Amino acid sequence: MSRRTAAFVAVCGGLGLLAAGYVGWSVVQVRTAAPPSFPAGNGAGLARVLGVPHLVFLQPSGADPSQSTVAVAPLDNLQDRQLTGLTCARAYFAAGHGVCLGRTIEGGGFTFDASLRRQREFDQVGLSTRARVSPDGHKAATTVFVTGHGYADLTFSTQTLITDLRTGAQVDLEKFSVTRDGTRIQRSDFNFWGITFASQENRFYATLATGGQTYLIAGDTASRSARTLRENVECPSLSPDGTRIVYKQLLTNTGGRRWRLHMLDLRTGADSALAETRSVDDQVEWLDGGHVLYGLNDEGPPATLDVNLWELAVDGSAAPARFLAHAASPAVVRPA
Amino acid sequence: MYTQLRANLGLAAKTGDRGKRTPWRVSRNVVNLGLTSLFTDISAEMVNTILPLYLVFYLRTSLVQVGLVDGLYQGVTALVSLGAGTLADRRGRYKEVALAGYGISAVGKLGLLAVGAMFAPLAGVVVADRVGKGIRTAPRDTLISLSTPPERLGSAFGVHRALDTAGALLGPLVAFGLLRLLPGRFDAIFVVSFCFAAVGVAVLVLFVEGRRSEAAREGLQASWRQALALLRRPRLMVLVAGSAILALATISDAFIYLLLQRRTGFNPGFLPLLYVATATSYLVLAIPLGRLADRVGRGRIVVAGYLLLALAYVALLTSAGGAGLFVACLLVLGAYYAATDGVMAALTSAATPVENRTTGLALHGTAVGLAQLGGSVFFGLLWTVAGADFAITVFLALLLVGIAGLSAGLARTASR
Repeated sequence: MSRRTAAFVAVCGGLGLLAAGYVGWSVVQVRTAAPPSFPAGNGAGLARVLGVPHLVFLQPSGADPSQSTVAVAPLDNLQDRQLTGLTCARAYFAAGHGVCLGRTIEGGGFTFDASLRRQREFDQVGLSTRARVSPDGHKAATTVFVTGHGYADLTFSTQTLITDLRTGAQVDLEKFSVTRDGTRIQRSDFNFWGITFASQENRFYATLATGGQTYLIAGDTASRSARTLRENVECPSLSPDGTRIVYKQLLTNTGGRRWRLHMLDLRTGADSALAETRSVDDQVEWLDGGHVLYGLNDEGPPATLDVNLWELAVDGSAAPARFLAHAASPAVVRPA
Repeated sequence: MYTQLRANLGLAAKTGDRGKRTPWRVSRNVVNLGLTSLFTDISAEMVNTILPLYLVFYLRTSLVQVGLVDGLYQGVTALVSLGAGTLADRRGRYKEVALAGYGISAVGKLGLLAVGAMFAPLAGVVVADRVGKGIRTAPRDTLISLSTPPERLGSAFGVHRALDTAGALLGPLVAFGLLRLLPGRFDAIFVVSFCFAAVGVAVLVLFVEGRRSEAAREGLQASWRQALALLRRPRLMVLVAGSAILALATISDAFIYLLLQRRTGFNPGFLPLLYVATATSYLVLAIPLGRLADRVGRGRIVVAGYLLLALAYVALLTSAGGAGLFVACLLVLGAYYAATDGVMAALTSAATPVENRTTGLALHGTAVGLAQLGGSVFFGLLWTVAGADFAITVFLALLLVGIAGLSAGLARTASR
């Protein structure tokens, strides 16, 4: 063996040991890590919370940043949080039906029932971003970002699926026919995301992006059709009474991507900016008829990788206030 | 001209040495450079594959910022390569300059581990990685050309590109394998990625001969003036300008895959497989097409490659949505890469005097890189404003103009 070959074998051996050692050590760490602290007597704790008005949300779990733990907490005592064994990247719950998107870092999801037990799995490859369940619990909407391939790309594409929670049947929003001012429009650059369901069966609002513009669309899942309502509206969230929409509006003069929360009154068409000056990249959840909840990265100080939920009055009567620390992806549940 | 001839003859004699040949009938040095690229590409593609996931899930940045990082990526690469190329020519130290490039990228993998959760330093490490790529490409291609007799340049670049593509194919597999084993442990991916990069650097340091050109050895060092004189070489200018127009007319893979998905409506979850299919086809065809180029003429193969790309555009425009068309499109795309990438490097090497070769290759690379960036922005703009069909039609027209220009220019400047 020449000296060069010997040197190469030594270098490769060293690097191989380093790689194998690090991976092995990580595997041991992951395997021996304490599972998310399941509250003692969880069955009773969970049942107690599920019986009163509560919040279903995700708690970042730490070890795997793509997996957060589904948790619940009573609205009148948010500190009494109860963790479940369910994990994913984005969750929502309504009328006894839940959806968890991002089963793994590569995508996929599952539904869960009223006692927060895992039910049916479904496939949807991509980066999980939005999830919603209709107020009647019949349908779930899930959005992922799909990339051209593994590289970081300037070209992103979204895929939004509506799942019938009773049958498991799925339909892609791109199969819907869309009209603008009465004329059918059809483009290959259609991207849909951020569905919010109305209380009327089959009705929903969502975002459509095409031709460099985003539109608020109103759609119908029965006729598989939608029409555009307004421009520059993203991630709409319909108020419980169905009269207002809070959405994020892209600030065009900042160069980068920053959004302001706005509210649109569907009866009058009046649009107003909400009293949150920070950029919000989330689909808000209505706490009640006058307040919304949304997640923001923890700004500290010092800033951390945690996420907190904030509460904001939509009439501008109060500044945003921290609602719940170490929480994201909120769903407000008020048992009848 | 005289020095170039002598340099090439001298090396041809050396590489004629039977003991130094490999099964592909190219010099051992070319294979070793290919192995360096293979390990480096495994390392680079591991990180590229998971970077969007890392940014979104770990740093909680929005995807638009991810796009921003990617834009930085490409612009920087193009610019540093020219400076590094001229430096390598002036000193005749191709291996050392290439090593600096490979080294920066390898160390950058440890940098990813160190900067952790901060966005700005992370973007800095990503840019440093691209700077490394910008520095190493031209001197490495110069070494390939100096290790190969002129009549076998196509084969040599084919072998190198095949090994390089194999690395690009393996990288994402290793990354996703690790992610399955260790969900969310990006640090393990960075460490393993560093190890692959370090093996690549070890191959370069221990086994690649840093050939100084005859010109450099005789003290005929390249001056800036000589570098500028490259601009007066008709054949090189035909290659640079022609490649730039063709790069401008190239629709990026990501767009093509997205178009195919929209046209045929297959599950977007299969998009990564399109990348695998294209790369496999490139991998398989790189060596045969490189050898064919040496036999029938490199210009012809490059022109044929771009005609294949034009064919893919036509298929996209007339898509009936059949599975056959779909598979054909991917094979054609791989064949296009195999017929143009390495063969173009061979053409450019042959058209540049040995004392300025790195600068010439870097000039070509820079023009192509910037044109690609412009083309991708232009295509996105056309697509959003006027629709996909219009955008493809405009790019098809531009591509045909580029093909006609390149083929006429090559015919006019042919050495014989």
